[in-house]
Amino acid sequence: MHDELTALAERLAALGDRPGVPCPDPVNAAMIRNWTQALGDTGDWSELAPPAMIQVWSMPGLGAARAGSIADEPLRLLDGAGFTGVVATNCDQTYDRYVRVGEALRSTMRFGGVTGPKKTAMGEGYFVTWFQSWWDEDGARVAEMLFRVLKFRPRGAPRRPSGGRYPLRPAIGPDTRFFWDGVDAGELRVQKCADCAALRHPPGPMCPECHSVERDHVVAAGRGTVHSYVVHHHPPVPGRTPPYVVAVVELDEGVRIVGNVNGCDPADVHVGMPVRLVFERMDDDLVLPQWTPLDAPDPEPPAPRPEGLDIALTPTFVIATALATRDHTPVHHDPALARAQGSQDIFLNILTTIGLVQRYALEREPGAELASIAVRLGAPAYAGDTLTLTGGPAADGTYTVRGLVSLGDHVTATVRFKEPHP
Amino acid sequence: MTLSGRAAIAGIGATEFSKESGRSELRLAAEACLAAIHDAGLTPADVDGLVTFTADASAEIAVQRELGIDALRFFSRVDYGGGAACGTVAHAAMAVATGQADVVVCYRAFNERSGHRFGQAGASSRADSTGLEFSWHLPFGFATPAAWVAMQARRYMHDHGATSEDFGRVAVAMRRHAATNPKAWFHGRPITLEEHQASRWIVDPLHLLDCCQESDGGVALVVTTPERARDLPHPPAVIRAAAQGTGPGQMMMFGYYTGDLAALPAMNTVGTRLWKQSGLTPGDVHVGILYDHFTPFVLMQLEELGFCGRGEAPGYVADGGIELDGRLPVNPHGGQLGEAYIHGMNGIAEAVRQLRGTAANQVADVEHVLVTAGTGVPTSGLVLGTG
Repeated sequence: MHDELTALAERLAALGDRPGVPCPDPVNAAMIRNWTQALGDTGDWSELAPPAMIQVWSMPGLGAARAGSIADEPLRLLDGAGFTGVVATNCDQTYDRYVRVGEALRSTMRFGGVTGPKKTAMGEGYFVTWFQSWWDEDGARVAEMLFRVLKFRPRGAPRRPSGGRYPLRPAIGPDTRFFWDGVDAGELRVQKCADCAALRHPPGPMCPECHSVERDHVVAAGRGTVHSYVVHHHPPVPGRTPPYVVAVVELDEGVRIVGNVNGCDPADVHVGMPVRLVFERMDDDLVLPQWTPLDAPDPEPPAPRPEGLDIALTPTFVIATALATRDHTPVHHDPALARAQGSQDIFLNILTTIGLVQRYALEREPGAELASIAVRLGAPAYAGDTLTLTGGPAADGTYTVRGLVSLGDHVTATVRFKEPHP
Repeated sequence: MTLSGRAAIAGIGATEFSKESGRSELRLAAEACLAAIHDAGLTPADVDGLVTFTADASAEIAVQRELGIDALRFFSRVDYGGGAACGTVAHAAMAVATGQADVVVCYRAFNERSGHRFGQAGASSRADSTGLEFSWHLPFGFATPAAWVAMQARRYMHDHGATSEDFGRVAVAMRRHAATNPKAWFHGRPITLEEHQASRWIVDPLHLLDCCQESDGGVALVVTTPERARDLPHPPAVIRAAAQGTGPGQMMMFGYYTGDLAALPAMNTVGTRLWKQSGLTPGDVHVGILYDHFTPFVLMQLEELGFCGRGEAPGYVADGGIELDGRLPVNPHGGQLGEAYIHGMNGIAEAVRQLRGTAANQVADVEHVLVTAGTGVPTSGLVLGTG
């Protein structure tokens, strides 16, 4: 397969620019307004189109027959050889000039190349690169885009993303809510009978010593010893990476509680080991009281979210921007279909991501003229999440933009301006 | 008045034991019940009571319909997983002893290997009392029976100096027994202690070979009065004692919060009652059917039931105490580690065979057999005798 792929890639690359998708409409104010409103771009685009819109002009639209891509043949070949996974990794746009309202454009496509096989975090795979260019009525190029995907051999069964939500959640009832409220407040609460003062964990509605139903609690000091422990290896447990330690910890207050011992090698855990309380945030909603060796350093506090441009990824935002970029792929507007394909929800399309990078850069550098945006793509930006864009001038005269979602980096981009940036 | 001598097991039946039965759990239940009824020399028309596990997927009325029984006068379910096994017979015995029913069939049938597997981690819990109990454990990835048992096993090792080899000797003995039982899944496949030690970790300190297998299959037992049983084809297995029990602060499988982790207080409750009700002592028992879902709990049961003192079970086993020619032959059929995992019901059937003198690995002159159900959970036990 590798030799066949290499030969095919050379043959396609030798073809040079091929007629690509036609641009159905001239550059026009209506589509620009849809785009700026959807993306929240408040720039003045009355005469010139936003450069990051370039691909929008050649999008075929809903119901139009999908034009063949120059990369279809190698992608099919890789599919057949078991490299069935696909993820977009790069989208680099270079702007020769901004296009004007009223201009008619045409586009061409050119095959770039194939590199691989390479070991990646997703599995072994090949990177496939191709280019799209846009031309004006005089035959001059106005923009070019590099697009690169990784075709990979999925490792084992396709993983159903848990979407960042920790799957092992406690049920909480009226008799146990005080405990979990305490955890949220950074306290380990132990039930105490309001009449006879007996301590009790796990808690319950009636004191087994004196049968009082009047309850109170104490806040544990957070010190204890390992009374017993296990190291879980098998079977797989959702949300967990083995091996991990589960222990019965005897608190200094005299009651016992079950939790994980984190922050040390499982082989170092032993019965009688002194431990102290730490709180582990599992996701946005759940914190668990956990344990770590008494002499272990505090875990790194989670990095505070950087100050930047926060974009609430409401379903409306995700769908409106997909449609404003004329991208009718169902994963950007149909939640049921997106989930059926293994996604947590609908997610932001790439044309919008690059548009938001443009918005971020130009809002901070008003009057600057974009020369290019090079985007590396990461975690999906799902509906319901928040995309936080940060960044600024870099030492080499470029401008870097980073887009963070709860799953990690959604985008890291390098922006270049026409004039040397101050 | 006690229950002792007031009921007997007159029939036993089972499907084959497999890893994929290829048929519904209800069909397995109906097949096992019919086999047990025929073994007792009866017909479904003679049956007026059915008892099963709360965990069973096939309701008493569903089994009634398949067997074509016109009317039931007694039906009951026993909770807490494998701890229910001997409890089903206890309920049936109480029913026939009090005249609530004449002939009661106890059954358990499942596709535990090819269908829902208990050993896999579950993630959901409801805010009922059981769900809240699980909520102190599941969120920490503490999610499988092997892990829950391992927590007690570790403390047992710490308190009594027991080792993984001590657990392994139980597995080796059970597989040795199964090797000569043609009905056992592991027939002809004994293991060595070295193989036990080399088997992969499931939840340290438990190796794979400390955990019983998973099986598809069904077992049923026919309970009636001793008087009626004596008129039927096989010698009756008379119920000398039947007991259910829990311990202090009892939970489903999380006995970590009060007292000694290296102990099974619910089994102590059961054992105390079995000896009192039967008038027997551990020395009077010729065969022990000890629930062996995980090897460490076989050791702890020997101690709770009084076959040896606290911390002495490793020595008892190392001295050959649980072998076929030992002080207490344990699970001559190979137990759940070797024969099949039918939630303990196949062990009760083995106890009946030992009393009838028809077991594959028959122990000589068996008059009394002790049977236990799942431990770590609320549990149950039986003493069966000839007569």
